[in-house]
Amino acid sequence: MTTAIPSIACLGIIGRNNNPLHISIFPSYDPQSNTFAPLRTPLEFSLLLSSSIDIFDLRTKHNAINNTPLATGDYGLLHAIDDRLAAYGFETNTGVRMVCVVDMRGRRAAVGSSSVRSGLRDAEMKPVFRAMQSAYVRLLQNPFFAPDEHLGPVGGHGGRRITSRKFGEDMKRIGEGWTPGVTNL
Amino acid sequence: MSSNKASRIGEEIWKTRIDKVNTELVTLTYGTIVVQLCKDYDNDYEEVNKQLDKMGYNIGLRLIEDYLAKSNTMKRCTSFRETADMIAKVGFKIFLNITPQVTNWTNDNNQFSLVFDENPFADFVELPDDGRAQDELWYSNILCGVLRGALEMVQMQVEAHFISDVLKGNDTTEMRVSLLRYIDDELPPEDD
Repeated sequence: MTTAIPSIACLGIIGRNNNPLHISIFPSYDPQSNTFAPLRTPLEFSLLLSSSIDIFDLRTKHNAINNTPLATGDYGLLHAIDDRLAAYGFETNTGVRMVCVVDMRGRRAAVGSSSVRSGLRDAEMKPVFRAMQSAYVRLLQNPFFAPDEHLGPVGGHGGRRITSRKFGEDMKRIGEGWTPGVTNL
Repeated sequence: MSSNKASRIGEEIWKTRIDKVNTELVTLTYGTIVVQLCKDYDNDYEEVNKQLDKMGYNIGLRLIEDYLAKSNTMKRCTSFRETADMIAKVGFKIFLNITPQVTNWTNDNNQFSLVFDENPFADFVELPDDGRAQDELWYSNILCGVLRGALEMVQMQVEAHFISDVLKGNDTTEMRVSLLRYIDDELPPEDD
């Protein structure tokens, strides 16, 4: 007997000018066919990430009006897309946004194993964003990486994407390694 | 001098007589230099290697004085083997806090390899993916120049070059150093 636990379906990095910097998509478990396949097409994930930009902006405005700025860059749950997918967000002070789309039933786990719990707390996403941020820091420390070429024009069209192999591997490790309860990635 | 003693000296000097500096400052400064050279020479990596070597040579000419002062020794190395040990276990130790391994000697004791397990210059670095940098650029080439310059000041003419680099996907980072000749003290020109 198995049951489903959350897994990461997609990791996205968005530049300060709303330009896409990186998208990684991870397959989810499908109990019908007993295989792993992405839940949505790359285009659909890309649209999900775009829509999360609006929520970042709204929250920022909202926080500014109420004079309640965030203590950390952690935005928590941005939006629940349907009964499976939910997007969580993080923003750095330089305006780089990281989005993690979680599939609430993306992995199977044996019933009774300690990792089975219902729901997902915001705190459980913290290690993901911490790992993404440190991967991003490592990327910036590569002298051959030119941050100014990755800014993109205001408006979000064009601009270069991250092509670093190391960064891609880091994202893959985070996306595949995370399940609720993992504290270190 | 035995190589154990050399490690002890290196350790001692590192602990007591060296001003430390943040590694990221070193790494990012060196990275900026290399990237700027690549831009200035339009990604002519052969030329970048040459410039790095030249910069290193000029550093070596000065650094040797500092090395001699800090290691506080007037005694000359008795063999090239001893020189190699002092370079790896004292020189690299006190300036970069690393001790590359000295291996792969030729039978005539005139050529050896320095194998770098770690290289603070190359932390975080990923060579550009333009199809040439991976083959042509020796990212840490400044070190070859430093050795060449420093040893020249103590009457040794050497040739140094990297033969592998983990940045290029090799298993190790290895520098080959060959002794060309001992430079005789030149006699002053005679007055006729």
